[in-house]
Amino acid sequence: MINFQQVSKKFPTGQIALEEIDVEIPDGDFIFIVGPSGAGKSTLLKLLTREILPTTGTIFYNKEDIFKIPAKKIPQLRRKIGTVFQDFKLLLNRTVFENVALPLEVLGRSDAEIEKIVSVTLDKVGILDKAESFPLQLSGGEIQRTAIARAIVSSPEVLLADEPTGDLDPKTAKEIVELLNQINSELKTTILMATHNMTIVDHFKKRILELDNGKLVKDHKTTKTHETN
Amino acid sequence: MKQIKKTFRLLRRSPYQALAAALAMSLTFFVSSVFVVLIIGGQMVLNYIERRPQVIVFFKDDVNDTQINEIINEVDSTNLSSGVKYVSKEEALAIYRERNKDDPLLLESVTADFLPASIDISVKKAQDINGIAQIVKDRPEVDKVITPENLVNQLVKWTSTLRLGGIVFVTTLLSVSFLIVIMVIGMRIAIRREEISIMSLVGATKWYIAKPFFIEGALYGIIGSSIAVFLVYGALLFYSPNIQEFLGPIQVFPIDPRFFLYLWAGEGLVAAAVGIIGAGIALARYLRVK
Repeated sequence: MINFQQVSKKFPTGQIALEEIDVEIPDGDFIFIVGPSGAGKSTLLKLLTREILPTTGTIFYNKEDIFKIPAKKIPQLRRKIGTVFQDFKLLLNRTVFENVALPLEVLGRSDAEIEKIVSVTLDKVGILDKAESFPLQLSGGEIQRTAIARAIVSSPEVLLADEPTGDLDPKTAKEIVELLNQINSELKTTILMATHNMTIVDHFKKRILELDNGKLVKDHKTTKTHETN
Repeated sequence: MKQIKKTFRLLRRSPYQALAAALAMSLTFFVSSVFVVLIIGGQMVLNYIERRPQVIVFFKDDVNDTQINEIINEVDSTNLSSGVKYVSKEEALAIYRERNKDDPLLLESVTADFLPASIDISVKKAQDINGIAQIVKDRPEVDKVITPENLVNQLVKWTSTLRLGGIVFVTTLLSVSFLIVIMVIGMRIAIRREEISIMSLVGATKWYIAKPFFIEGALYGIIGSSIAVFLVYGALLFYSPNIQEFLGPIQVFPIDPRFFLYLWAGEGLVAAAVGIIGAGIALARYLRVK
């Protein structure tokens, strides 16, 4: 359970990214966070991994105030939360296999375990045949699948996906979200996906948090009332 | 082992920086080793001289045994000497004959009466030669006192200067190596900034991120000091005949191999510590993990 309580974030430039956000996210939920660019979607996700701190308010994760966790325990929090970054953040000098293996290496898993788990994960996201390729040799969809594989390889409780369909064609975008949906239903992973692709949002009929200028303007299920873009 | 393999893989990616750091360490510890060898060699020469009779006291012809014993007791009572040996006129003649056995002309006319009785005094510390010489010089029974005062004083001065110069020089080089390690590891952190940031976001602890850099710093030190000790060992082996010829009767070779083992271990430890501390400073300075 993730619980946002009166969370506000104001950057030193004076820009208000989030304003008094109150949201409760049950375990196993799949939520789209929508809104125009600059609405605060990425800020909301970065707060969850403690990349940034709120100006006021707090977030409880499994009843624990994540901003009161001592610095040395932040890695433990991040191991429970997988992230698919907007800019992928893949290491270009490492193969797909090595990129996906990174969270397991960090956890201190043995080589044999890493080999097995990474192969299963790559198979799950459909890029097992690309294991030895480097990111620059991949298509947009394959890069995104690599990023998803890295995010789920350590079986996190929560998966954050920041604009995972941003630069993808509609077909690949749909495939990627279907993959996330499959992860959500099979592994019971809580998924928070930031997007402004309303076609996708309308298609999957999940809970939606709509942000505008840092404010939560709607919290509802898709009813196909949105204009598609 | 996995971490060391990983560190070597990272070193291979930018070998020139690694080479610069290891060579700086080599230079530092090469110079250190040379100074250590010179200081120990100088000390061996000093010890050799100290073990030899350094003060020779010649007596006048009319001096009797009681007077000589009195002087020997006086020298003993200073507690500065490690030994006093009495050489009678007859013994002096025997020594003279032995030294000149190949020159009959020199032996012909010499009898024990021509040669004075003497005592050979060995001092515990070379610095005390002058003090002992002063004690016996003013005695009326004494004809002449011979000391290698200048040579010893110079040797003591040289070894002290060598020690001081070595400390200053090696400290300077250590500081340079230290700064090079900080700079090289700082650059590596900068190059791997994105990777570090990603590792942090997937849950790596600071220690997990920092460990390869500490290993890298230690490796620079260990590799650098090993090269240095190996070079000094090789150079000493190669030049040992020349060095021994220069030192004459002072036996310094063969050098016990354990000496180089201890030197290698000692310098390896210091070098690894320099590398690790340098890496620590670079990490504290450049590693900013959110």
